Amino acid sequence: MSRPIPASTRALWALAVSSVLSAGCESPPVVPTADHQQNTRAGRIEGTLVAQTRARGNAIVFIYDADRPPPPVGTGRPKAFTVIPAVELFGQALGDPSATGPFTAPFTLSLVEPGRYLLRGFIDADTCRTGAQPCHTSDFIPWYGVTGEPNMGDVGGAAVDLATGASRILEVTSDADGWPQPLTGVAVSFSDTATVPLDRPAFQVAVGTRTLDAKSGTKLLKLRPQVISQGGVEQRPPGFLVQYVDDNHDGIPDDANHDNVGDLWPKVVVRKLAGTVGVLDENDLDHNGIPDAEGVDYVHTDGMRDGQPDVVVLAAGLVPDALIAALTDEQGAPRMKPIIAPELDIAIRPIALDARNPAAPAPLASLPSGRYSITLITSTGQTWRVPNELDPALAPALGLPSVETQSFTIEVP
Amino acid sequence: MRTVKALQRAALVAVCLCATEALADARLEARRHFRNGMSLIASGQFDPGIAELEAAYAIKPHPNVLFNIARAYQDAGRNQEALDTFKRYLASNPADSSSVTGQVAKLEAALKAAEVAAEPKPGASGSSLPMPPPPASVQTTQQLATLMERLEKAIARAESLPSQPQQGPASSTYVPVALPGSGVEAAAAPAVDEGAVPYEERVVTASRRAQSSLEAPNATTVITAEDIRLSGATSLSELMRRVPGADVMTLGVGSANVSLRGFNQRIANKVLVLVDGRTEYQDFLGLTLWSTLPIGLDEIERIEVIRGPGSALYGANAMLGVINIITQAPGSGPRSRFTATVGSGHTVDGSFVSHGGSGPLRFRASAAYAQEDKWSRDYGDDRPDVALLGGSPEIGLRGARGNLSTVYTFDNGRQLGVSGGVHRYATEVYPLGLLRNYYLNGLSAYAKSDVELGPIKVKAFWNHLAVDAGPQYEPIGQRSLATHVTSNVFNGEALYAKNFELAGEHQVNIGVEGRLKRVAFSYLGPLRQEVHAAAFIQDEWRVVEPFRFVASYRVDRHPLLDNGKPGLAHSPRVSALFTPFEGQAFRASAASAFREPTFLESYTRLPVPVPGVNGASVLTTGSTQLRPERLTALELGWRGEAPELGFDWDLALYQNTVKDLIGLSAFQALPAGEAYDPGTGSYLLGRSVFQNEAAIYTARGVEAGVTLAPIDGLGIKASAAIQHMTAQNEEQCGPCSQAPGVKLYGGVTYRTRADLEFGVDAAFTSSTTWIEREPSPSDPTTVQFNSNPLSAYTVINARVGYEAVKDAVSVALVGSHLGGTHAQHPFGNRIERRVFATLTVTP
Repeated sequence: MSRPIPASTRALWALAVSSVLSAGCESPPVVPTADHQQNTRAGRIEGTLVAQTRARGNAIVFIYDADRPPPPVGTGRPKAFTVIPAVELFGQALGDPSATGPFTAPFTLSLVEPGRYLLRGFIDADTCRTGAQPCHTSDFIPWYGVTGEPNMGDVGGAAVDLATGASRILEVTSDADGWPQPLTGVAVSFSDTATVPLDRPAFQVAVGTRTLDAKSGTKLLKLRPQVISQGGVEQRPPGFLVQYVDDNHDGIPDDANHDNVGDLWPKVVVRKLAGTVGVLDENDLDHNGIPDAEGVDYVHTDGMRDGQPDVVVLAAGLVPDALIAALTDEQGAPRMKPIIAPELDIAIRPIALDARNPAAPAPLASLPSGRYSITLITSTGQTWRVPNELDPALAPALGLPSVETQSFTIEVP
Repeated sequence: MRTVKALQRAALVAVCLCATEALADARLEARRHFRNGMSLIASGQFDPGIAELEAAYAIKPHPNVLFNIARAYQDAGRNQEALDTFKRYLASNPADSSSVTGQVAKLEAALKAAEVAAEPKPGASGSSLPMPPPPASVQTTQQLATLMERLEKAIARAESLPSQPQQGPASSTYVPVALPGSGVEAAAAPAVDEGAVPYEERVVTASRRAQSSLEAPNATTVITAEDIRLSGATSLSELMRRVPGADVMTLGVGSANVSLRGFNQRIANKVLVLVDGRTEYQDFLGLTLWSTLPIGLDEIERIEVIRGPGSALYGANAMLGVINIITQAPGSGPRSRFTATVGSGHTVDGSFVSHGGSGPLRFRASAAYAQEDKWSRDYGDDRPDVALLGGSPEIGLRGARGNLSTVYTFDNGRQLGVSGGVHRYATEVYPLGLLRNYYLNGLSAYAKSDVELGPIKVKAFWNHLAVDAGPQYEPIGQRSLATHVTSNVFNGEALYAKNFELAGEHQVNIGVEGRLKRVAFSYLGPLRQEVHAAAFIQDEWRVVEPFRFVASYRVDRHPLLDNGKPGLAHSPRVSALFTPFEGQAFRASAASAFREPTFLESYTRLPVPVPGVNGASVLTTGSTQLRPERLTALELGWRGEAPELGFDWDLALYQNTVKDLIGLSAFQALPAGEAYDPGTGSYLLGRSVFQNEAAIYTARGVEAGVTLAPIDGLGIKASAAIQHMTAQNEEQCGPCSQAPGVKLYGGVTYRTRADLEFGVDAAFTSSTTWIEREPSPSDPTTVQFNSNPLSAYTVINARVGYEAVKDAVSVALVGSHLGGTHAQHPFGNRIERRVFATLTVTP
């Protein structure tokens, strides 16, 4: 049974329905939630890996802040990395080590903020595939200092300027609205010419004491290669790769300190550690290679503090005497090719510096007490530091083998 | 003071003048008329009393009201009306039809005899002049005879009462000798059980049989079809806000989480949701996908919510409560009903429901389509960093569903029910941990059969789910987590009911259940399969009025509960009920309940990409060594009613102690040898494993709810829940800060003489703080716990309806979330106001 509907009621309903329909035409707005990622704007870098190599293994590509390059040029640490599995890169040739490629595979570095970057990488080679002796399987693990760098047989790579061969600086820019723009078409090249010749400069302090104080004068330590082959850590350095520094590629050893002695690789860094245990550097507790915003600030020789957390290092270097002889030919001219030294002598002077600006270290008024680590940096960019995660006090919890020699620290009372 | 009272009276009069028809709360309004009518009849005012009963019947037909009307006519000596009404009663096919038929025969004979007596006797004067009044002595004799007859009826009535269950200590209601639907009723029984006492609130979930909510051993809340219609609610989960103590957290149009008495979270997993006794709890994740249920709001008869542990009858996952959605019985509705809704957010919704039958076969068939936009999007289009992976960027819910439910009644009264349904949908869900909103694109289906074999009921069902799922947005170049899930659950159960006398009356329910679960889900590794079994017993012992005791016990066999081997979970419950007055019930109960580890918690092995570091993942793993989450609950309750005032109330005080809560651990470093995951080609930063927490959480709270229908047309509902949670052995108590301390609900519905309906309700939820894990912005390889404060919010919904053509065409305008934009979880949509228009046609 129907009843008449008043005109006013009909008009009211018609208005309501038309309002509803018109309101329904809008798309949902973009409203980021509290999730951090939704509130950031980033771009990406993508391109192609090109590998000409007999090595087989995953390709690892690292992205570095261009202002903080990795060793040997700097001490920067990667901001991120990606892995291109060997099967993607080599495909059917994975089981055929005679094929040299070129092999290609796409890669992407996601969520890259605007900035200037360097791309470096290496193929984490399984050298046992090639029948090499000694050999190691793919052994890169990014989470530990002792497993986070290439070893012998790995093949280096980078995004380079094809014309000059120099590292290419990649810039992620933003558009007028502030949106980062994707950087595409980037090539990262790997070649057997960049094969890493030796394992990392793993060492132990064979001779020398731990304690250093201002009155004791220069401390001498003798470093010898440390062989480690257990628990996922494979290091069999036959010695230390030593060579003259020649950054300007003029065939003449550089002499940065003008002492008329050519500068040598490896470089030695003795840096102050945080706290009484662990392997974190002082004032870099997040382990990103950048001094923390807050930290310990020491008095400089001018009696002032610079108001910033300091990167405290001790003056240290190789004792060159024995090495220079090995790097000099029969005519007394420097040999620019590297040699393998069975041991290294290093000297540590009781002088502390604030290396926040590596180009101009500032001397400190006194020797900050605490623990210090020793790091060797070779010309290949490989490094080794003691103490490290193989310290028996740390290793079991990390699932790593314990190696007593790797707990050595310089102690400043 | 006088002014205030005068205003109150004036308002009352104004409301009364406007409202002549029901219904705001049909049950309460009908019950008020019914009780008032019975009081009038008891005082000898038959005509106004019968008018009240007729009004009650007009509001909400109940066969026993007809019985009472007939008895009132009979008592008033109006046998013809009594006869007519008894015949109407018999037309409802009551269980006591044989005895009532005898009564009808007697009445017919009496009427015939009266007619014969009234006819002029042969030989008597043929004069048409009126007869002189009989002598006074004859009148006195007739009055005495009438009184004697009433006395006899009263005695007969009194004798008849013990033959059926008492509904209260001193019921004032005439009750038929044998009661339709008074037998044992399983929770799954689709038939509408209106109970013996007209307009009492009935529940079937609390004891797996039909009973008055006053007798229920748990705090219960019933949401009726009428509540649903008048609320204008557009989703099942939104309806739950009217349940005292319910935590409703809506993250998206198609994604909601519902918990009771705290412990809500993304993937709320401690409340068992049933549809006609068939579980909708998804074992592979441990959640209810509310928007994927294959039923529509217009197919629901009522929703029963048991607030408090239900494992003693329902086993695993009924830890904090049970929500049983009971659909309309086949054949109980209109032949066809079309509903169409359009509204903001590109909302388009159409449904068709049909009831019918042929002979002993009755059916309900339905089909529907629905779609609605999200309230908000997390990301815009064409971003250089993040890409849409699956689903539509705008659609929050889109689905088409169909249902068929049939019941065949055999000659001997036994019934066979067969039903099935399917829902094809695209929607979203918000998983745990580092994961954000996932699209779901798939299909749910079920088939179910119920058989009644006297005191034994057998039920079997199959639940099927097959969905493509994955993060809706992923960083470009990052390994995708897209996956496919196929889940099949096969369940069979048998229930047996027996009443006997032994130091009082006992009502015993015994049940056994078996369940096979098979889940194919790449996050879990290979196909996972579990076989579960359970048995339970419940005895309701009416030792002596007004006391009764309910003892329940259930044992569940789970394949992993004993450190990865089959083990048992025990769930006892004891309740004592004290009903000192009619309509007043006091309750004390103690129970334990449990939640079993889900497939996700037991078997997961999922490397989750670290945002921005494509070569790294964090591993989430399950554990087969998990203990079940355990709850020990103590509860005191008072449920009461004032029928003449149209007033019900419910008060509950509880203490829930939860231990062995299952959650993800903080990230742990992996051994160096396990750092590389060849399956994903990424390095595993660490592992987060599902584990039993050491903390013991104690939640104490009070819940109060009232329902009023003081005058026809006006319905008022209000509730409040206050809770405080503490934790032992835990420095930072996530569940404590995430549970709102205060929840308030108020709703008013009003229907005018002109068939206009108004409804508005508001639900307030106090502020919370959510502890969620996220990669550190400065170093995504570090996962940190962030504290995300969430402001208090109020959800306001309103509805205006108009019945344009009586019983045929109605229209409604609904406004949802009118309280303003807000979010109900830090990672949820920003919820916006929406308006919908609905047209319902019942040809």
